[in-house]
Amino acid sequence: MSDHSVLTTLKILIIGESGVGKSSLLLRFTDDTFDPEQTATIGVDFKVKTLTVDGNGAKLAIWDTAGQERFRTLTPSYYRGAQGVILVYDVTSRQSFSKLDAWLNELETFSTKHEVIKMLVGNKIDMDKREVSKEDGLRFARKHQMLFIEASAKTKEGVQCAFEELVEKIIQTPGLWETEKQGGMTLMGSRGTSQGYCGGYCVI
Amino acid sequence: METIINDVVDPRDIKKFELIYLDQQRHGPVSEKTQFEYAWCLVRSRYLDDMKKGVALLEDLFHKSRPDDSSRRDYLFYLAIGYTKTKEYETALKYVKALLKIEPENHQAKELKKLINDKLNKEGFLGMAIVGGATIAVVGGLVGLGIALAKKSS
Ligand SMILES: Nc1nc2c(ncn2[C@@H]2O[C@H](COP(=O)(O)OP(=O)(O)OP(=O)(O)O)[C@@H](O)[C@H]2O)c(=O)[nH]1
Ligand SMILES: [Mg+2]
Repeated sequence: MSDHSVLTTLKILIIGESGVGKSSLLLRFTDDTFDPEQTATIGVDFKVKTLTVDGNGAKLAIWDTAGQERFRTLTPSYYRGAQGVILVYDVTSRQSFSKLDAWLNELETFSTKHEVIKMLVGNKIDMDKREVSKEDGLRFARKHQMLFIEASAKTKEGVQCAFEELVEKIIQTPGLWETEKQGGMTLMGSRGTSQGYCGGYCVI
Repeated sequence: METIINDVVDPRDIKKFELIYLDQQRHGPVSEKTQFEYAWCLVRSRYLDDMKKGVALLEDLFHKSRPDDSSRRDYLFYLAIGYTKTKEYETALKYVKALLKIEPENHQAKELKKLINDKLNKEGFLGMAIVGGATIAVVGGLVGLGIALAKKSS
């Protein structure tokens, strides 16, 4: 990224049931690795990555929350101030899909930004025993005005797109990030008009 | 990992979980869940006294837990975080190593261990220089040597 295009920091949050692959998606995105033995997150984890979307540089501060029940009462404090949220389910687990409503409710309750951009990710599409069809995912996303993509942290499919689409949408919603300027940094480069990178997945 | 160490809890959260904790204490034994939630808030406080109280609560939980208790990893992780924040790096290292014994490939634990070692190397060396006169002499000697070398090459 050229230095004139450095931009504000965007806070991104990853939520969803334990074991759906939140940390694996993040690890694939930031380090391009995958750990088949990935251990459950303790509390929250944090990673930073810079990304260029439509010539705009964005520094992403990504908070990866633990899905395990014992952390549930405490992780919502990390929702505050998030501009983007990635809600993950596992396409081989119907149960993880049925919990999506509860996660959205929690988000409504605790997020401080009304216009927070939401991305639904159906993960683990590399696996055979699918329990949630792509249509089901799409329908849910449409109903709740979310972006949607299916992905695999294992094979990389859809992972980069998920983050890029989300950031692009945040940048196109200036009310979300303009008040978040830090240290006088401003957005440089042209406002993008592209219709998304992942062709056809985007639903809002 | 630095961000996780510096992550400060909202004081309202401490208050909230403190109330639940105190309420349970009044009516009988405090549940493991409540004690853990309160402790997790305390170790993320900006105040040293809170951090110490949080660490004490976690140590209590750890000692009461059975060896096969799946929450042990969480106690060990936040004990290591707590002691890193109070700058007791040797103790922090002990706890993060205990966690790595249970989960050798835990990414969070590996990162934390590296961070503690970095801090030990940096702040530990400075601490030594301040505490030990002998160390100061050594540092002085090295500086002297540096000057001597600089003179030679000029
Ligand atoms: N086959 C396959 N396995 C995956 C994929 N993503 C994650 N996994 C595996 O699923 C398990 C759980 O993944 P995690 O990334 O730890 O899940 P999580 O959502 O972060 O879980 P918590 O931290 O407990 O909330 C691990 O064994 C991963 O290796 C995927 O896309 N395909
Ligand atoms: Mg995780």
